[in-house]
Amino acid sequence: MNEFIEQCRAEWRRIGVAAGDVDELAGELAADLAAAAADGVSLEGFLGASAADPRSFAAAWAAERGLIPAPDGRAGGVRSGRATLIAFTAIAAVVFVAAALLLATGEPKVTLLTAGRLSPLAGGSSFTPPPSRVLTGAAAPIEWALLTFSALALAFCAWQWARRSHARRPGMAL
Amino acid sequence: MLRGVLDLCLLAVLQEGPAYGYEMTKRLRERGLSSVGEGSIYPLLARLERDGLVETYRAASDGGPPRKYYRPSRAGQLALALGVSEWRAARDEVDAVLAQITIEVAS
Repeated sequence: MNEFIEQCRAEWRRIGVAAGDVDELAGELAADLAAAAADGVSLEGFLGASAADPRSFAAAWAAERGLIPAPDGRAGGVRSGRATLIAFTAIAAVVFVAAALLLATGEPKVTLLTAGRLSPLAGGSSFTPPPSRVLTGAAAPIEWALLTFSALALAFCAWQWARRSHARRPGMAL
Repeated sequence: MLRGVLDLCLLAVLQEGPAYGYEMTKRLRERGLSSVGEGSIYPLLARLERDGLVETYRAASDGGPPRKYYRPSRAGQLALALGVSEWRAARDEVDAVLAQITIEVAS
């Protein structure tokens, strides 16, 4: 009987049952086996077919007790989400700083229009649009758009970081 | 044996008084239910405990290691009452169907 209990202990340890829980399960089993032995009941008489398969017996018991640790998928997901948020925050910050610098220095301006010579007109002459139509104005709409969107993205990131920080605080179990 | 029915039988023998694992198998076998052995009682008890249908406590044994005793919780007593009602209704329905059957075995 002791050998059976030791085999169960080994299986519980192998599948990750905590040491305290292993002792509790083994203690309960030992007490019941001792009572069976006192009645003259053998291990096979008490446990039947399970007596020949301590590993399955131990695993089934621990599983029903909820003592087998689940794969740490949630922690992996949390880490992955944190990495994504770090990357998103960094990109938003870089875009925000770049847009702010472009607006502050005034150089270079980005424009939706491209300066260039249009195709030759009939008669061999060419047409160059007026500079005011080709170069961007001081309003620099792309920079302002980038600044606005990056500021919104940073605000969203700040909200996400605040949520994560709040979620990590331990709660009180009732 | 049907899983839910065995749970019901365990709650029924615990209703007679707290018992440890081996003692429960003895009570069941005394009533002719020998199939509950086979080591299946521990996972069943674990599930009942996890579901809050039984409560446990430890008590010293005569010279041996302390034993873990089980007794039905309030929820367990309610589950037992409902389960017995459902079982009896199901048994009567099945009996009504099977009662129409006559089997003749050619010799």
